[in-house]
Amino acid sequence: MLVHIENLVKRYGDLLALDHLSLDIEEGEIFGLLGPNGSGKTTAINCLLALLKYDKGTITIFGKDMKPDSYDIKQDIGVVMQNVAVFEQMSVYENIDYFCGLYIRDKQKRRELVEEAIAFTGLSDFRKMRPKKLSGGLLRRLNIACGIVHKPRLIIMDEPTVAVDPQSRNKILEGILELNRQGSTIIYTSHYMEEVEQICTRIAIIDHGRVLASGTTEELKKMIKTGETITIEAVALTKNNLADIRSLSHVFDLSYQDQTMILRCSGAKHNLIRVLNYLQEQDIPFGRVFSELPTLNDVFLEITGKELRD
Amino acid sequence: MTVFKGFLIITKRNLLMVFMYLAIFLTIGILASGSDSNTSGTGFHAQALTVGVVDHDGGVLSKGLSTYLSQYHTIRQMPDDTAKLQDALFNRNVSYIVTIPKDFKVSCLREHQALPVSKIPGSTDGYYVDQQINTYLNQARVLTDSGYSDKEAAAYILKHADSSSHVTMLKSASSEKTPGYGYMYQYLPYVLISILCYVMGLIMIAFHQPDLQKRILCSAVSIRSQNLQLALGYLAVGCSVWLLTTWIPAFFFYRKAFFQSSKMPYYMLNSLTLLLVGLALSFLLGTFITKEDILTALVNVVTLGMSFLCGVFVPLDIMGKGVKTVAHFLPVYWYEISNNLLNNSAVLTQAQRQLLYRNYGIQLLFAAAIFCIALVVSKRARQTA
Repeated sequence: MLVHIENLVKRYGDLLALDHLSLDIEEGEIFGLLGPNGSGKTTAINCLLALLKYDKGTITIFGKDMKPDSYDIKQDIGVVMQNVAVFEQMSVYENIDYFCGLYIRDKQKRRELVEEAIAFTGLSDFRKMRPKKLSGGLLRRLNIACGIVHKPRLIIMDEPTVAVDPQSRNKILEGILELNRQGSTIIYTSHYMEEVEQICTRIAIIDHGRVLASGTTEELKKMIKTGETITIEAVALTKNNLADIRSLSHVFDLSYQDQTMILRCSGAKHNLIRVLNYLQEQDIPFGRVFSELPTLNDVFLEITGKELRD
Repeated sequence: MTVFKGFLIITKRNLLMVFMYLAIFLTIGILASGSDSNTSGTGFHAQALTVGVVDHDGGVLSKGLSTYLSQYHTIRQMPDDTAKLQDALFNRNVSYIVTIPKDFKVSCLREHQALPVSKIPGSTDGYYVDQQINTYLNQARVLTDSGYSDKEAAAYILKHADSSSHVTMLKSASSEKTPGYGYMYQYLPYVLISILCYVMGLIMIAFHQPDLQKRILCSAVSIRSQNLQLALGYLAVGCSVWLLTTWIPAFFFYRKAFFQSSKMPYYMLNSLTLLLVGLALSFLLGTFITKEDILTALVNVVTLGMSFLCGVFVPLDIMGKGVKTVAHFLPVYWYEISNNLLNNSAVLTQAQRQLLYRNYGIQLLFAAAIFCIALVVSKRARQTA
């Protein structure tokens, strides 16, 4: 186990920020931490990095207790903050070199690592530029370069793609997968579920400082009732029609608004055919039909009762 | 030493501003010293008058008096003609005329009669000669009364007459010249504190960005080492600014006058204590300012305010009592009164030296107090974050 968090409790006065939070992260994983604002993600990460004192619980990283003075552990951790955390007065190269210098003393090795990080993040053409002159996407890449330059075993990324254009986001995500391939374990928090779904090998959903569910994307999807979501454009459905459809087997939720019917069905075969047969039998005209398997958003919605971006 | 290196890189980025301040400082300092080109008052030489002597006696002691006076003045033997004597005095050919009576020894030494003299009316020079004549007469009286012959007495007086003057200038008048480097040191608080507060403030703003601070705290460099490196950075930048603002201008512009002055170490000590005050102040500002705009405004308010109140730009002598009372609570005031003391004293007495040490001590106390406040503020800020 690379990271082990057990029964972590953190209070801010009367507010319980972390409520017996427990997590286990294996080496080589990209572990996604999903949760709405105020769910306790950042508090958990700050406790993990020993930036915050916690009231109860234990944190071990690389098999050792994590404390503020655990510099041997910190040596192998890289941090990519949510906000870009670089020196405005230093150039791209100087910034990366500075943060590398906080871990690596050997000049020659540092030079090699800085060059690698610059190449990895595609900042070669901007090495002499100051952060002020970089675009949002390039700044994010610089932020990542500063966090990963010393090639840490564990990288903690707190929403690294916020306010980044789709092209840069894809590059960043590709980079994260590459870092993982190179052997780094990554803890990744994000508001973007599609990102988490795309890159994370395991995900934990957090709310009110507790882990509500954790597992692979598939495991999480299996945990919820929704197996299929069917959307049909149908005109003039009566109350009786809706009652009939609601009574079909495996349908557990139905909404009808603006001539669009949305059905949530449990995971079973032939859900769509049964509904379409009914409409044909009743001679009800219908337009476009969609059938979707559950997404992480459905999982999140069903587990927390709210949308992630609420 | 990464933190220290980062400190220096950020300082390097602000060098333009440092040199701008320095250029303004030097220009003002040199212009101010150039405007006061009066060179009197820095030395002393005894004044010699032309003294006319009418000797009716012609004795050993009367001739001795002429010779005695000739050691200090130009002596001109005059004929005993009242009209000619009046003309000589009127035309300023002589400044003083002494008429030695025939029975000089009896009348002037034994009977204490005054020597008949003529002086230019309203002139103070005459008093100078009066004193010398009295000195001669007193000595001659004592020696002859003690058994010395006239010849021995005259020879003794002449032998022990001191023709050179030993002068110790304790205090030069305010109208006299302040050395050029004195002006430089007068304006120093403004430039030194401005540069330090601005440069250090910018560095602290950079290091105090919450996410940047977190990132550094997450690193493998211990907090103790980070603090030590920051302190080292402070000292390195502080010493460089001190060298730039004190030693280098002194070397290029006032080399001989400054480095040969016996007061040089005191000027340096004064500026060194000011440096510590400046460093403490910049540390305090850096702990709670998070934006560059606020820093610029605050640095101007603090440095200009302190400079005006404490006599950097306006001499303390012309300031009101109330302003001076307020200024007592500011460190620059103690710097400036030390500087004024150094500027106005040719040679430092023991009492003046003690006064200087007291002022240095007060400045150090100010520096320590400001530093402690900064530590408390910094701790509070960390707890809030």
